Amino acid sequence: MQENVIDQSKDITILEILDRVLNKGVVITGDIVISVANIDLVYLGLKLILTSVETMQQRHLSVVKPNHPQK
Amino acid sequence: MDKIIYAVTGNNCSQEELNSLVKGISGISGSSLYALSFKNISITVSDFSSSKFVVDKEMAIDFARIIEQLSQKLTLLPVRFGTFLKSDEDILKLLTDHYDSFYNNLIKVWDKDEFGLKVIWDYAKGSEKIKEESEKEVVKSDTYFSKNTVHTNYLLEKIKKHKLEDALLRHVEKLIEEISGFLAEINPECKFKKMVSNSLILDGVFLIEKDKKDEFIQAIGALKQQHNDLHLLLTGPWPPYSFVEIDQSF
Repeated sequence: MQENVIDQSKDITILEILDRVLNKGVVITGDIVISVANIDLVYLGLKLILTSVETMQQRHLSVVKPNHPQK
Repeated sequence: MDKIIYAVTGNNCSQEELNSLVKGISGISGSSLYALSFKNISITVSDFSSSKFVVDKEMAIDFARIIEQLSQKLTLLPVRFGTFLKSDEDILKLLTDHYDSFYNNLIKVWDKDEFGLKVIWDYAKGSEKIKEESEKEVVKSDTYFSKNTVHTNYLLEKIKKHKLEDALLRHVEKLIEEISGFLAEINPECKFKKMVSNSLILDGVFLIEKDKKDEFIQAIGALKQQHNDLHLLLTGPWPPYSFVEIDQSF
């Protein structure tokens, strides 16, 4: 049964990955953290990509494995 | 050389074994990962020169891939992308100063995976059905206002809209109850965001013991069969990104 439920979509996997690495996990802030040039802009750009989750509405999807796309 | 942090890991092996586990994995800049330890927990890092690399989407995805690889070998707390520190000394200080907080979070997620479940529907169709049900209770002007004017009509429309929103929320809460019922035997820790948007009516995350993974997927599969009107998007297993409760200034 599990195999019937499992589906994989590269686009949705990427959205889910970005949502997690940008918005979740251990957050460390303070003096010890180095500010890297353009990181804020990267965050802003990637968060805009996340809004495209709405395009999933028309898709009929079940389970997506976090099968990370190759570089 | 700066350092980029990937994860806080719990160790049930020696420092030598840990180093050999992480050493084979390349960091986002190509440098090998290494672990800095205090007692039975570690922080996995790699060297990084921010002047040589462009921080972009591909790097964020690569970062996630590295955390995924680590999570297959160790129980871990993923660190948010883009956390750079100056030196190993700073990282060790972070680890020792906040050992208890890291340790308690690691215990919570030990041998568990995260799954995500998004419930998406056709808002126009779904809300129309809910609207019909919510309007069975007729909203009459004289219940609220003594006169019928342009202003009271406007307010009446607002009341109807508010009632529809209430009905939608009740519908989503009922769905959460149903999901919880399906998962009762698995008993996962879960978090839900309701009505994230008109289409995305429910965004849930679940923390599941690794050996209950198949059972969980089957339960969601059964739930899906009962809801042809909804799109259930189940993702996972993920490292426990959504169940880390450490967000503070260090």
